[in-house]
Amino acid sequence: MLLLLPLFIPLAGALFVFSCRQPRIVVRAALTTGALELAAIGITVHRIHSQGVLNAGQYLRADGLTSFFLINLGLISALVLVYSSAYLRHVPEGRFSSLRWFYGLVFVFLFTMVAVFLSANLGMMWIFVEATTLASALLVGFYNTEGAIEAGWKYLIVCTVGIAFALFGTITLYLAAVKSGVSPQSALDWSTLMAAAPRLVGARELLKLAFVFVAVGYGTKVGFVPMHSWLPDAHAEAPSPISALLSAVLLNCAMYAILRFDAITSRAIGSGFGHTLLLIFGGVSLAVASLLMIVQRDLKRLLAYSSIEHMGIVAIGIGLGGALGFYGALLHTFNHSIAKTFLFFTAGNVQGNFGTLRMERIRGMASTLPWTGGALIMGGLAISGMPPFGLFVSELVILAGAFSTAHYFIAVLMLAGISIVFGALLYHFQHMLMGTPEDVRTRPALRASEITVMSVCALCLVVLGVHIPAAFAAILRGAMTVLRP
Amino acid sequence: MGLFETAAAKALASSGVFLFMTVLLIAAAKRTSTCIALFSVQSLVIAAQIVAVSRMHHLPEGFAIAALVLIVKVITIPYALHRIVEELKVPRDVSSSTSPSQSVFIAAGLILLSFFAVRPYAGVLGGDQAMLAASVALVLTGGFLMISRKKALMQVVGLLVLDNGIFLAALTTTFGMPLVIEIGIVFDLLMGVFLMGLFVFRIRDTFNHVDVSKLRRLRG
Amino acid sequence: MTLAINVVQVLLLLLLAPLVRGVIARLKARIQNRHGASVWRPYADLLKLFRKEDLVPDSASFVFRLAPIVVFAATLVAAAFVPLLYGSALLQAMGDFILLVYLLALGRFFLMLGAMDGGSSFGGMGASREALVSTLAEAPFLLALMSVAIAAHTGSISGMVQWTLGQNFFQFSAVHALAFVALALVAIAETGRMPVDNPTTHLELTMIHEAMVLEYSGPSLALIEWASAIKLTVIMALLIALFFPWGAASSLSVLAIAIGSLALLLKMATLVLVLALVESSVAKLRMYLVPDFLGVASALAILAVVFTALMR
Repeated sequence: MLLLLPLFIPLAGALFVFSCRQPRIVVRAALTTGALELAAIGITVHRIHSQGVLNAGQYLRADGLTSFFLINLGLISALVLVYSSAYLRHVPEGRFSSLRWFYGLVFVFLFTMVAVFLSANLGMMWIFVEATTLASALLVGFYNTEGAIEAGWKYLIVCTVGIAFALFGTITLYLAAVKSGVSPQSALDWSTLMAAAPRLVGARELLKLAFVFVAVGYGTKVGFVPMHSWLPDAHAEAPSPISALLSAVLLNCAMYAILRFDAITSRAIGSGFGHTLLLIFGGVSLAVASLLMIVQRDLKRLLAYSSIEHMGIVAIGIGLGGALGFYGALLHTFNHSIAKTFLFFTAGNVQGNFGTLRMERIRGMASTLPWTGGALIMGGLAISGMPPFGLFVSELVILAGAFSTAHYFIAVLMLAGISIVFGALLYHFQHMLMGTPEDVRTRPALRASEITVMSVCALCLVVLGVHIPAAFAAILRGAMTVLRP
Repeated sequence: MGLFETAAAKALASSGVFLFMTVLLIAAAKRTSTCIALFSVQSLVIAAQIVAVSRMHHLPEGFAIAALVLIVKVITIPYALHRIVEELKVPRDVSSSTSPSQSVFIAAGLILLSFFAVRPYAGVLGGDQAMLAASVALVLTGGFLMISRKKALMQVVGLLVLDNGIFLAALTTTFGMPLVIEIGIVFDLLMGVFLMGLFVFRIRDTFNHVDVSKLRRLRG
Repeated sequence: MTLAINVVQVLLLLLLAPLVRGVIARLKARIQNRHGASVWRPYADLLKLFRKEDLVPDSASFVFRLAPIVVFAATLVAAAFVPLLYGSALLQAMGDFILLVYLLALGRFFLMLGAMDGGSSFGGMGASREALVSTLAEAPFLLALMSVAIAAHTGSISGMVQWTLGQNFFQFSAVHALAFVALALVAIAETGRMPVDNPTTHLELTMIHEAMVLEYSGPSLALIEWASAIKLTVIMALLIALFFPWGAASSLSVLAIAIGSLALLLKMATLVLVLALVESSVAKLRMYLVPDFLGVASALAILAVVFTALMR
């Protein structure tokens, strides 16, 4: 029963927001819903860790992995909602562009993502991953400019095609299960499949086929490299809070789906095939994204490619397997989401002050916008994996995993990629910080909400880089137990 | 087994033929409304197949799924797309980057490719080989339509054909999944088409055309 | 007795061909909300033309006078290969489907020669267009018939008809479906119907077949018109015989023949109606689009042949 709370609070919030007429009430309702959602997630996580796996009916289930990703979602969504209340002071009025629509769609989007995390059934999971695409498409095209609409269209089409392939993978897995004797009614249920996994050995070819399609399909949503064409456009053209949600939570959502499938496949036929595939996808994504980051001209596009690169690192972590690989990958999803949120908020500030995101036109932030400039430096250092920030720890763990399992090529590739990213970010950010600004105009001061939000992000980053709190480590361990029983 | 049963079984065996015909005709079509009508015919063939399969294997859920496919894919979505074509008021030709006969040759090549692709898996996946080949052909043709047709609405039609192919593959190999999942999948598709229609109108309003090959502002 | 039936079949094709043309014209007129001429009008035209004088241009050679005779003769002989009522044809032992295709091609070739020999520029234009259309139509024509022949393990047309008669009604074979569509498209091109050619146009620049016969008059024109009508009926009868042969007589009893005639009448009527509807609803293709049209037919025919191997 408790599981229904985090699921329906956003939905109720959306309904309320859609029926509201006055912007002030809308914002307050949004913030209240965000707080309630955070509380509900907190209670759920606590319950999971005291009681073990929670079930609600046939289709909802929450275990250690769910709780880890739910915390991620709860934290980021709360931060995004607070930031949006300040950022969206001026919303271009268009057909689907108003404060009501923004918050309403955000809540529907959150509902679909929570539903993905809480799905017990692989078919349900598929339905809600597709629903996340549909819910966020209008958010990507929110500003109604030419770029936004093009980005939204590409996003919708490419991701729907990718998800259709994931459906085929899901069906193939269902077929393999049914052929191996699992009853058709429960052949899509994750826990049933995990229990029956040893029996699935007979359908080896089918399982491999299924995993390939799932990796390609859900990999499109994660942003693996040949299928990534929608990502830079969508993350760049969306409003900054939405970009944060997309980069920080949605990519993790898709990765969650891949993790669930990987667990079943590894249990059934061993992890050789699936993990090799993930290593290839991860390595290619890392290499291509880091190289493309050098030639970017738009700040948010740069950040989008950075997301692709980090998702590549997560895939490498999963592909390496073992305790180190999984730990590093899970920790990295969390660290990356906080760092990326921080950076997107900074980019939002930059856009608000300079009116553009083209990096060649942004100059002299160090002298005119000291705090935002400082945030940019901090975010840049964090995202390129410098200590004392969290990403350093998670990348180190993954590298340790690579060396310990003798994947030297991957380790070298990762080090090279990270170095290239560091160089690219340094180059771009240095241009933006130095020099004299082109036009001097009165800059609006940072609002309290924005400062609070970014401080929270910075704090989390530093804390996770220095010492992981015990409670968080326990949740992380709980998630690991699900993946490697 | 009465006459209906034998007729159903034989019709089932030859519905692959109808699907290949629709694949070739949709490749050769020159107007968007022709493509939408052909998609409707394809969905009708698939719905008929679901009925035949459910009858043969005594699966009562199958009839509900067939009714769902009929209502959504044969009637609602094509009707909505036709209305969009009317409201858009843009030239109704398909704006293909390949001529009709080239497209038909490519479609014929894709059909052959799908036969060869299905051959090694026929034993493993089960199901009728011709039907599986038809589903792969639908997926490949849907992809081809999405790539070669420049109108935004044609990309939607290509996506729908691709989805039909995957649906058919599910049907031939597993005789359908649990009802709730099927309903969810079809509903997702409906919402997806609705959203895409919305976007097509936005593209038309912002760019004054619906030619996606000209949407190249964002590159690199 | 078989001989009698076969001769009757050929006579039917010969004598009823103008009627088929007349019915199509009348149906088209009705669909287009006109009264239209009587269905017996082509007969009146033929009679009128036979009584008139044959005018030959000064610059024409013997080819000009020979062409109509060759066209008529070739088409009539081709008509003797197609089974109508009973699963056999008069000349079935003498050749297979390839001979049929090339008999029709022979007629067309001489028509083109005669047109060019007539000396008018429209004749040359019509001949060159006809050459384009016939070159592109030949491949799908042969391939579609070949696919059915491979499936039936025989090349003779009556053999193919008898094999199709033995097939199961509910199981449409992919080969047949594809071959049917390909042949239908080719039929439109071969017989000079819309959308490839407009048989009722009076604008010379839009003509293909009509341009070739512009110089002819009198009995020569009568022979050419009759041959064109026979060709149309032959190809329609071929489509019916190969793809919808059910109802044809399987024995030589009076009852079977009667049923066969009725079935033939119904099928011809349906095909005529479909043709009239198609002709009234499509616009004529511009010349540079005709290769596309026939390209679709070629692709379908090639696929039909490949399928005979795949669907075995």
